[in-house]
Amino acid sequence: MKTLRSFPGNRIIWHAIIVGVVWLLLLLLNNNIDPLYSSYLALVAMYATAMFGMTILVGLSGQVSLGNGALMAVGGYVFALTSMNWQTVPFFGWEWNAIWSMVFAGLGGVLIGGIIGGLAARLKGPYLAGLTLGVAVGVPAITNRFPELLGGENGLMLTVPYPAGGYAALDAGGEVATDEGGDAAVDIETDAGATGEDQQYAELDLSEFDQGTDPLAEEDLLTEDDLLTEDDLLTEDDLLTEDDLLTEDDLLTEDDFGAGGDLGIDENVVDPTEDPGVDGAGLDGTDIAGGGFIDGFDSEFIIERWQASMAIAVACIVAFAALNLVRGRQGRVWKAVRDDPVAAAVVGISPSGSKVSAFVVSSLFAALAGAVFAQILSFIGPGAFGLGLSLSLLVGIVLGGRASLLGAIIGALLLVWLPELVDGLSGERGWPEQITNNAPNLLYGLLVVAVVLLAPGGITGTFKSWIDKAKGRGRATLS
Amino acid sequence: MTNFVDYLLGGFSNGAVIALMALAIVLVWRSTRMVNFAQVGQAMFTTYVALTIQQSTGSWILALVVAMAAGLVLGIVVFFLVIRPVKNSDSTGAIIATFGVLIALQAGAGMIWGGDPQGFLTPVDNSGIEFAGRIWPISLYDVLVLVVTAALVIGLTLLFTKTNLGLSMRAAAFNPEVARLSGVRVNRMLITGWAIAGATGAVGGVLIAPVSTISPNSFDILLVFAFTAAVIGGLDSLIGAVTFGIGTGLVISLVSGYSDSGNAPIVALILLALNLLLKPDGVFGHHGARSV
Repeated sequence: MKTLRSFPGNRIIWHAIIVGVVWLLLLLLNNNIDPLYSSYLALVAMYATAMFGMTILVGLSGQVSLGNGALMAVGGYVFALTSMNWQTVPFFGWEWNAIWSMVFAGLGGVLIGGIIGGLAARLKGPYLAGLTLGVAVGVPAITNRFPELLGGENGLMLTVPYPAGGYAALDAGGEVATDEGGDAAVDIETDAGATGEDQQYAELDLSEFDQGTDPLAEEDLLTEDDLLTEDDLLTEDDLLTEDDLLTEDDLLTEDDFGAGGDLGIDENVVDPTEDPGVDGAGLDGTDIAGGGFIDGFDSEFIIERWQASMAIAVACIVAFAALNLVRGRQGRVWKAVRDDPVAAAVVGISPSGSKVSAFVVSSLFAALAGAVFAQILSFIGPGAFGLGLSLSLLVGIVLGGRASLLGAIIGALLLVWLPELVDGLSGERGWPEQITNNAPNLLYGLLVVAVVLLAPGGITGTFKSWIDKAKGRGRATLS
Repeated sequence: MTNFVDYLLGGFSNGAVIALMALAIVLVWRSTRMVNFAQVGQAMFTTYVALTIQQSTGSWILALVVAMAAGLVLGIVVFFLVIRPVKNSDSTGAIIATFGVLIALQAGAGMIWGGDPQGFLTPVDNSGIEFAGRIWPISLYDVLVLVVTAALVIGLTLLFTKTNLGLSMRAAAFNPEVARLSGVRVNRMLITGWAIAGATGAVGGVLIAPVSTISPNSFDILLVFAFTAAVIGGLDSLIGAVTFGIGTGLVISLVSGYSDSGNAPIVALILLALNLLLKPDGVFGHHGARSV
């Protein structure tokens, strides 16, 4: 029995079973909740994907990096750039072409992560944090450096590749989106008018701050840029005009409105749905009822559910890889180097090799999460992927539990749920916008400090120590 | 050539501010052997305080003095509440905690003063001085910035080299155990280091605010520049921080002049990476400064 247990293949099978069951449960959940909650689920899965990498990098390998937001940007941009050209290439016979772009995004993350990791392996503590901080702050600068390729400050809109079969878009709140887009466009122009470098940074960083941690704000930015790119897409939208199928879609969405009564009231609905390019993609698929890709809901392919199922798939695959790494030999290697690099070197582990491998793995996860994020937003731009996002990842991992994969999931839940909680409270109490917008970050900052001081293991670490204590007490009374 | 001289001259006052922020980072490093990533956030917060004072009283001097006092207090508060409990037990946690402070300060400032960038009035004229038949890229305000910076640097140098307090602080930083045995109140010295750093950063914030604007995140980029300057200078060298702070300002000014101001962070990043690879202890640093 003991030999069976220590056989690694056995452990991998167990991990596969655990992840598979969780995946199934999540899909069931996704198919039976309101599409609004599916969009939250998508965000949680996306954050969790990135934060599994943070668990390995910060928790196991002990390297505090703020570069993972930037690596998500790498993934997102590679996805955006490749998805345009690989739109029609099936992935080994499968019609869902996004997989190609996801693969490229992952490779891009590994490449850039390897470069930064190579630098990082020579650095300790604050030096690494400072260097990666520079990377995070430099993202807007880099995208502005290549305006044709990366779209500059405005980023890139992307036509998200959907699997064959199409879907019925839940086209809620489109008007609101365009209205906001109008205001935002004005803002952006005034930015461009402002001259000093610091001024531009101020503006960029501002938006970034809101978006990094508050999913709603992120999606507001989406709508800003929708307006800009809608213009571009107008030519493609000629495709739309020929399709009278749109009216059928409209009927479906009205049904959805009726079902989720709060959808119409809740402003949040604005976010993840509106995207003109998406409609085009859906209509290409022609058969609306063909949501056979995932069964369990009313033969409609609702975009939030699709996004959530895609994000969950990536998160589960990444979780499986992370589980095997963390609980296998490599996890012990990372911890050994973190706790005592000299002792690790003595037993034949290369400390720098271990640090680079942690960096590369976390970069891969970050890039995949970035590709998922780009698909959720159908947009990629420097504002949503700057320092704010990197700091959110750090906050999430610290609150959830630095060295625990479960902690990463809890952290991801917190990142999505806390702003919603604050938003709800503010709606009830009628707080001014200034308070509501900043309350989540104030809480995050204070919580991070409190956790580091009082419960360095985060939520999972604290629970674990409670359980250990209880077990210890039990044993003591027995003996 | 005229361009080159103009760009160079235009970089001095910006460089002076970067030097002040780098000084603040170095002062903290010298006292507690850690980088305070919230340093520039603290400066942002005290600059908002100064802005409030200036708006209500109209006095720039008063605003500067209040900002320094606020910086002093904030430095002490952050040290007591956050750093002292964690600095010895959890070095990774200490780094993370400073980021927590940064996030909280930025959100707090956003709550109190709003997210919109605000302007800060200059006490003296901020347009180029006309001299010898042409307009130079240096304003009266730039001269004031340089004078204030120079005064502060000279004051700090005197403090560290000529006073008992400075000697005790250096002793506490150099070898806390031995210093303690010789009767130096090491903990008090650490607090003093954080307090002086807070005040220095606060001066930097007030000085840069009129040139850029002030918003909760507007100083993020300054943190990168200051960190770059401090690290290249060796992290524990005051002279290094000042030299490379001004140097960074000049490089940024040249980059902005010849290409685009948006490229400045990329250049700073390249400088930082090269320095960390080639001369990780910095130019003025003592060997071993890098090991935490």
